[in-house]
Amino acid sequence: MPSTAQILDWLTIAKPYIIMGLVVAVWPLVSGYIVLMERKVMADMQVRLGPMRVGPHGLLQPIADALKLLIKEDIIPARVDKWVFWFAPVIPVLTALTAFAVLPFSQRYFVAELNVGVIFILAMTSIGVLGIMLGGWASNSSYPLLGALRSTAQLVSYEVAMGFAVVAAVMVAGSLDMVNIVKHQQASGVWFIFYQPIGFFIYLVAAMAETNRAPFDMPEAESELVAGFMTEYSGFRWALYFLAEYSNIFVVCSIATTLFFGGWLRPFPNVAWLNFLDWAPAVMLVGVGAGCLYLAGKQLSAANKIGMGVLGAAIIAVGLAFGVPMVIDYVSGPFWFLFKVAVMIYMFMWARFTFPRYRYDQLMQLGWKWMIPLGMANLLVTGVLILVKMQYWSAK
Amino acid sequence: MTEAETVYRPHPEDHTFLDSNEIVINMGPQHPSTHGVLRVVLRLDGEKIIGSECVIGYLHRGVEKIAENRTYVQFNPYVDRMDYAAAVSNSLGYCEAIEKIMSVVAPPRAQYVRVILTELNRIASHLLWLGTHALDIGALTPLFYCFREREEILKIFENYCGARLTTHSFRIGGLQYETYDGFEKQVNVFCDDFLHKVDEYETLLTGNRIWLQRTKGIGVISAEDCIQYGVTGPVLRGSGVKWDIRKAMPYCCYPDFEFDIPTGQNGDTFDRYIVRMEEMRQAVRIIKQAVAKIPDGPIMAKIPKVIKPPVGEIYHSIEAPKGELGYLVVSDNSTQPYRVRVRPPSFVNLSALDIMIRGHLVADVVAVIGTIDIVLGEVDR
Amino acid sequence: MSLFRKLFLVDLIEGMKVTFGYQNPKYIYTEQYPKERPPVSERYRGAPRLNINPENGETLCIACDLCALACPENLIVVGWQRGGPDGKTGKKTLTNFTYDISRCMFCGLCEDACPTDALELTQDFEMANYSREGAIWDRQALEEGPRPTQYKE
Ligand code: SF4
Ligand code: SF4
Repeated sequence: MPSTAQILDWLTIAKPYIIMGLVVAVWPLVSGYIVLMERKVMADMQVRLGPMRVGPHGLLQPIADALKLLIKEDIIPARVDKWVFWFAPVIPVLTALTAFAVLPFSQRYFVAELNVGVIFILAMTSIGVLGIMLGGWASNSSYPLLGALRSTAQLVSYEVAMGFAVVAAVMVAGSLDMVNIVKHQQASGVWFIFYQPIGFFIYLVAAMAETNRAPFDMPEAESELVAGFMTEYSGFRWALYFLAEYSNIFVVCSIATTLFFGGWLRPFPNVAWLNFLDWAPAVMLVGVGAGCLYLAGKQLSAANKIGMGVLGAAIIAVGLAFGVPMVIDYVSGPFWFLFKVAVMIYMFMWARFTFPRYRYDQLMQLGWKWMIPLGMANLLVTGVLILVKMQYWSAK
Repeated sequence: MTEAETVYRPHPEDHTFLDSNEIVINMGPQHPSTHGVLRVVLRLDGEKIIGSECVIGYLHRGVEKIAENRTYVQFNPYVDRMDYAAAVSNSLGYCEAIEKIMSVVAPPRAQYVRVILTELNRIASHLLWLGTHALDIGALTPLFYCFREREEILKIFENYCGARLTTHSFRIGGLQYETYDGFEKQVNVFCDDFLHKVDEYETLLTGNRIWLQRTKGIGVISAEDCIQYGVTGPVLRGSGVKWDIRKAMPYCCYPDFEFDIPTGQNGDTFDRYIVRMEEMRQAVRIIKQAVAKIPDGPIMAKIPKVIKPPVGEIYHSIEAPKGELGYLVVSDNSTQPYRVRVRPPSFVNLSALDIMIRGHLVADVVAVIGTIDIVLGEVDR
Repeated sequence: MSLFRKLFLVDLIEGMKVTFGYQNPKYIYTEQYPKERPPVSERYRGAPRLNINPENGETLCIACDLCALACPENLIVVGWQRGGPDGKTGKKTLTNFTYDISRCMFCGLCEDACPTDALELTQDFEMANYSREGAIWDRQALEEGPRPTQYKE
């Protein structure tokens, strides 16, 4: 019979593995729901209803989609480079999921505390490009090839801009460790976005380009290249590309949250009279649950009514549980982190549904002629300011 | 193997044609942005276009031949199916051509209703163009706003004649249907709402820097080239030629109305965009005037029961939303036309595609195809 | 001013304001079709029907064949016989009436031609069918009107 201390010990050792397993198991579902959220947001902005048929308000749509993709015929066109064609979609998924390892969901929940966390993520996203390139090349078809060419050029050039933006934030924090960066923000009591607004802007643009999101969705611009590098893919392999894309979006939004928005910290973490904000998770979940109950009353069919009602009740129950003072401590970190990431993802979607698409050469111009010089200037100014500050302090 | 394939395949027996510097890609016939079944064979150097050729005919239904086997009245519904985005305009052109060869004139009330519906249809067609054009350039949302307004127009059509798209709204000699109760009101309400909506589209697009970059200086065509190629409609006006058949060779009761002909200067995609936006506003202006002074009276002229126009031949053209739509009708004094030849604006305008896209990038091809505003039903007929 | 607009992305923000504003559910324009059926206009030209005289239950059609002649697609076939004893004289009566909706373009010419308002294009617009033969309606189907499978939850 192991003692309690032993169990706790084991748990500490097992924690990274548990989180890892959890992420890998739950992530596909979550990304499915991000897709649903995107479709719903898109529908709302476009005066439409969006998915409504599978489950109440289309809530089961991701599951139906996943099933459909799984049982779809797996078409491998003739004369493709078979092995590469098979393997290419796996690469971006692998790298994107690997990048999850260093995301600090809260002070407690993270898989690894790497002292070069930021660089690790950047490295991983760069490798992800390989999957796109190989996929486009292996398809042995013109549209995917053009898509792959574009994507390579685009990702390589925006990585530079992104690097500059990240380095500026890292300089302010004085650390490459994701957890330490947040801790530094906690200590100084200010989110880095207020130190680095331009850095954040560059990061935002570069991140959209990195994840192939409109207005920079060149590699898959559906009105020009049909589906870009994915044109020849179908079924589950295609789904893998999408999984990778949404994972990447999550990762870049997480980096933005960590670097510029104080990660798991609630707004104004050091202002005591705002402590009531710790109740936010509970209040928000109860609110969402109440919304579900309200919608349940408006459903047309009995099954949808019950489904929506049960969902609302469950969310309220969880929300109430989160209101228990002991639990708050555990959930408020992940809650704020995920909340900020969700807001960032919403920004991405909003931009996508509003703007036309850049042309390929204009994108390059924007990257090389505007973003990179701006990033360099930002870096320079940041460096000088930090230097001046240090001098000033040491002089004191 | 079509001619285009033989001409443009660099190494017929070598499948690794990627080794050469030129890439040949087939845009269409199944491509999201060729607006139907247009196929454009592009020769690319990297992403730059060094040559192109349109392959058309995938939607050919032999409309002109069908005409020879139908009576004049029976052929009327078929013209709706050429430019199905502007069925009412097609019908107007056909009916007026036959009226002209028979030397009858539709009564004034019928003419006013015709103008109202045709101008509504012009707006509907331009809305369809705007939505898909914006979608091609990557703006996803205007499409749905445009379709929302277009839906209101289609509702008016449905109330008036019972069909939404291929309306068969006019008959030779006038109209089949009297206006319904509340017609004027519904049209007026639409017009008032619509002007605000146009402003909204302009907020989304006109000032947007990405839109400007994507459209300014793209697909430039000079006025001389336009005339050389026989290009008409907003494309011609975008190049600065003030030519609108409604003013130049008035038909129906257009002389009764005041409206302006918007023109551009540079002949690029942006100018054509501005011209069409302004045309929608002008169309609203015409509709408002027409609704205000719509006369009473009969809606059908006195025409014989069996239509047998005298021997002769006639060409009548109108300003369809996409350009000059002309009908050449040859009659041999039988119940069926001897020959009907249609001059479709989309077909003629499409011929200028090649000179408009040379030297541009692949992304511009879709922008230019969008800006020419083709409907494949009309190109292929 | 234009520099200000450019620098602070005013043009982009204005666009984003428009799309953001439309998120209010009250602007939703689409409908859930099989659950909610849109009303169609009175003059709608949809599924054909052969009208029956409500007083005596007999068909209004006088088998004059005008609709078949008017149709550009030649898809109406009117079957009739003479009422007289030898089958050659007397009033025409309708025996069968076939109407191929798969070829019909709902132009309304047949409806306009009918002298007795027997043939009418109604407001029904649900005519989907599992087979081509099912799209050819005979007299009975025309008198009863379409019976599409209704959507069930
Ligand atoms: S609607 Fe037109 S096509 Fe259909 S049967 Fe009647 S006349 Fe023929
Ligand atoms: S035109 Fe009318 S009455 Fe004559 S055959 Fe046709 S349906 Fe019957």
